[in-house]
Amino acid sequence: MKGLAAAIAEGRVSGRLWLYPRYDCNLACAYCLTESSPNAERRQLGADKMVEIARQGRGLGFTGLGLTGGEPLLDRELPALLARLTAILPTVVNTNGYLLAGERLEAITALADRPLTIQLSLDDPEPEPNDLLRGERSYEVATRLIPELVARGLHVRVASSLEEAEPGRVERLRAQVLELGLGPDDHFVRPLVARGRAVDAGLGVRAVLENLPPELTLTANGAFWNPFAPTVRGGRLDIDLLLTRTLLPLSVPVNAMMELVDGMPAGNDALLDIR
Amino acid sequence: MARVELIAPQDAPLTARRLLGDTPGPLPATWAHVPELLAVTLPFVGKVFGASAIDARTKEIVILRASAEMACRYCVQTHTVVALDSGLSAAEVRALRGESDLAEAFEDPCELALVAWTDAVAAGPRPISEVEAEAIRAHFDDAAVVELTLLVGATVMLNRYATALALPASPATLTRLAQEGLA
Repeated sequence: MKGLAAAIAEGRVSGRLWLYPRYDCNLACAYCLTESSPNAERRQLGADKMVEIARQGRGLGFTGLGLTGGEPLLDRELPALLARLTAILPTVVNTNGYLLAGERLEAITALADRPLTIQLSLDDPEPEPNDLLRGERSYEVATRLIPELVARGLHVRVASSLEEAEPGRVERLRAQVLELGLGPDDHFVRPLVARGRAVDAGLGVRAVLENLPPELTLTANGAFWNPFAPTVRGGRLDIDLLLTRTLLPLSVPVNAMMELVDGMPAGNDALLDIR
Repeated sequence: MARVELIAPQDAPLTARRLLGDTPGPLPATWAHVPELLAVTLPFVGKVFGASAIDARTKEIVILRASAEMACRYCVQTHTVVALDSGLSAAEVRALRGESDLAEAFEDPCELALVAWTDAVAAGPRPISEVEAEAIRAHFDDAAVVELTLLVGATVMLNRYATALALPASPATLTRLAQEGLA
């Protein structure tokens, strides 16, 4: 698809195609966009379908994949899926890291030579405020895992979701991530988004079409504009940023996204830089 | 109460908002759950049910009659109002709804043939006889027969859809029906 490839090359559309393998999670973060928890509806996408999406995505011009959720590592077969996906496109997988141990950790380590990035979260340079948002031990898990994964030869990056620009907090976080062994390009800071559970917690900034960049995101419930779009509130999936219910052929949601992208005025850059 | 959520414009998928407008009716408000279907269904329905080479009165005879035959409460209520606004009398509306004698309400043999054709097409899974086809072709050319037959079929489709999902008529429609004595 020439239009998509050109738009990616011009930076008008993200080259990363996001997938939600599942919505349930072993944690229940205070600001979770998808109200994920151990009891959340799973909404699983399915391994074979994800592989087909990746295959078609590469054919259409996407340059990478992202897996988020929900906690992708709840699936014991995730390493096998990542082996299949990374054979198609470079892949980032978001995880809280709690389950990166034992057999799972060894299986992920075996993929160190693949184009695979493990993305962990660290939202505060101090344990207590970090764990208040993300759950007990989350600070310890992230700060222990980052150097361990790096030592195992895995590419790691860290995302920090911040509620407000507290003086010095971003700088302290950046310094901490550097100390843990990551480069500056492997750490990005983004605002909390007021969708899902964050709304009830009174957290985050409002995200609408105009300030979310186009990053096609596929879930079991349809294709969305951005990974911050298929959110859940009160157990109900938000569909305000839904593109299509059809996932495959991938050209269907891609065309729907590109119609919107092409209809945007030139220079209409996304404001929130939520990536 | 409808069996699926009627999506308000502000909650609608971004790919559906432009098509929905500010005050969508129950049909598009449910189709908005699947924006790619909305995108093709709305123009299709708009073309089949909207202004065309066939006048509005003729089309409303077909729509109201088929809806009554299919016992679609939502469509009968909604298209009773549209039929009145398209020039049908209250007596004609009652006859099309099966509440009075058609031959007393309608004098034009063309319109009576149209009602008979609508009944035959909407009636269900049986062949249409050559006699029935000749009766409609005596009054309408091929293009009109195609359009009117498609209109019956599309109406039946929407009749079943609206009935299955228990779509509600708008308060304005119910008020108008009460005012006209056609509730």
